[in-house]
Amino acid sequence: MSMFSQYLKYLLPVIIPFIILLLPSDSFGIVGLTLIEQRVIAIFALAALCWVLEPIPIFATSVVIIVSELLLISDKGLWFFKTPSPDLGHLIDYQTIMATFASPIIMLFLGGFFLAMAATKYRLDVNLARVLLKPFGNKPKYVMLGLMMITAVFSMFMSNTATTVMMLSILSPVIALLATKDLGKVAFSLSVPVAANIGGIGTPIGTPPNAIALKYLVNENSISFGEWMVFGVPFVVVMLFIAWLLLIKLFPTSTEQIDLNIKGKFLKTPKAITVYITFIGTILLWLMGDIHGMNAYVVALIPVAVFVTFKIINKEDLKRISWDVLWLVSGGIALGVALDKSGLAEHAVDAIPFGGLHPLLLILGASILCLVMANFISHTAAANLLLPLIAALATTMQSLLPYGGEVVLILAVTFAASLGMSLPISTPPNALAYASGNIETRQMAKIGMIIGVVGVLVAFAMLFIMNKTNFIG
Amino acid sequence: MEKINIICVDDEREVLESVCRDLDYFSDMFNIEECESAFECLALLEEFDEQQEYVALIISDHIMPEKSGVELLTEVAMDHRFAGTKKLLLTGLATQADTIQAINNAKLDNFLAKVWDPKELLQMVKELITEYIIEKGIDYEEYIEKLDAPTLYRLLKS
Repeated sequence: MSMFSQYLKYLLPVIIPFIILLLPSDSFGIVGLTLIEQRVIAIFALAALCWVLEPIPIFATSVVIIVSELLLISDKGLWFFKTPSPDLGHLIDYQTIMATFASPIIMLFLGGFFLAMAATKYRLDVNLARVLLKPFGNKPKYVMLGLMMITAVFSMFMSNTATTVMMLSILSPVIALLATKDLGKVAFSLSVPVAANIGGIGTPIGTPPNAIALKYLVNENSISFGEWMVFGVPFVVVMLFIAWLLLIKLFPTSTEQIDLNIKGKFLKTPKAITVYITFIGTILLWLMGDIHGMNAYVVALIPVAVFVTFKIINKEDLKRISWDVLWLVSGGIALGVALDKSGLAEHAVDAIPFGGLHPLLLILGASILCLVMANFISHTAAANLLLPLIAALATTMQSLLPYGGEVVLILAVTFAASLGMSLPISTPPNALAYASGNIETRQMAKIGMIIGVVGVLVAFAMLFIMNKTNFIG
Repeated sequence: MEKINIICVDDEREVLESVCRDLDYFSDMFNIEECESAFECLALLEEFDEQQEYVALIISDHIMPEKSGVELLTEVAMDHRFAGTKKLLLTGLATQADTIQAINNAKLDNFLAKVWDPKELLQMVKELITEYIIEKGIDYEEYIEKLDAPTLYRLLKS
């Protein structure tokens, strides 16, 4: 790589937004573009370039977005950005921008993190895995099916990465015993990240893109925790089955028997029992919808209170919460807020003639774009960039209504974001599995691409059925 | 990417070179330094500390003139600035007293006898570096291809 292209990833995210800021406002093809809106375009370009080229950590990009918004487009920003002028536009309330750090979506995730952390600390995850794996016996292909199902279920409530780490640590001593040339090594090593990536789709807290989607599914389009699972879980089941068939067909093992040896017993201390009860209780409250008056966001904070009260999560544990993931999502929400509140979203959509585009083409195009992006950049970053644009577009497209409207478009793109898994860099679970040294990139790419494309098609089919049965739309 | 150092200490030139040759696998992501005495190593540590660079691992011989490997590693173990730095003693001639001292005072992480098996050394260093990176909270993804996967899974799980 030449010196120049090495520096390009640092230069482009600085130069391009700067040029956008300096261009005359009529060069964007949007009539009546305000100064604030122009700055939002610059911030969006900055975000896109930083998330794609990764000159800085992806969560740092989110923080830069929020701070740039506060400086450039908030009512408490730098003085010369607020100079009154007829084409200034609407300054955004600084509190609204700062509040993205503590948006209900973030609280939902925080609750999920607390549940996952307590489950790991009190070994609920490993013990459940041990018990649940038993019925699958020791025939390799059924053990794999069991592993994949358990990985998927766990990754609906824990982060995909944490689930992968746990399952790989159970699996790696067993894989090490297989013969060097045995393709089963590949199949088993791949089964875990694939199942974790797919499993994340199952619940709103399964993976950050889902939570970001919820941010744009509001009012008549809102989807409760339970409703999400009604379509999320069947999708996971179908995809998991397809992935399992692919793995055992493409990478058959020559081993007759696989014995997973997971040590330990269920803990029975008062703290452990508190964890079990809180875990089950929270999930039940989530599934009940709003018959108890609480929405998923409020329910998410109950385990937080319980666990800190009973010292199940202590000061040290608190430091190990993945704040980077929370901030990464916050930045995406802030980007959406800026697009919406500045009026840019509405303005830009009016200016660009999407009306002539066939809605199905839009759904297909947006999903494929998201799938491709998610293979190369973080799933959350892809969702952060695409969902606000998609949501703005969908609200104005009347022609989408017969196909289920905004919900269908947003869900199709969100699912596509989780299906990007054909490279080691696509997701942390992929990177961790690849580190085992048992998989070649082309083997991962083969499985990942098939699952990506088939997944998007299955999602379309499912959304079609959901629309026909009036579940959505 | 953070600069992470591995220091090898041995008073015999050939041995030092052979250790570093065995660690060549790490040289594209980590900086491997050669020191011919404990004093040289201590001076280098000061330098790295000034630059705020990470010292992941010190691999030291024991029998050296003026200051022994165990003395060197004890000094490092006591220095809070290098808390977490992994210590590997590589020796053929250690008495029981030396060994006791090495474990109790120098808080050795690993012990390897001369003549060593290059594969064994490589694996040991892989594991120690993985531990260091996770314990220090350094972003492991950048180094993942050089790390030991089972150690990585075990440490990330807890």
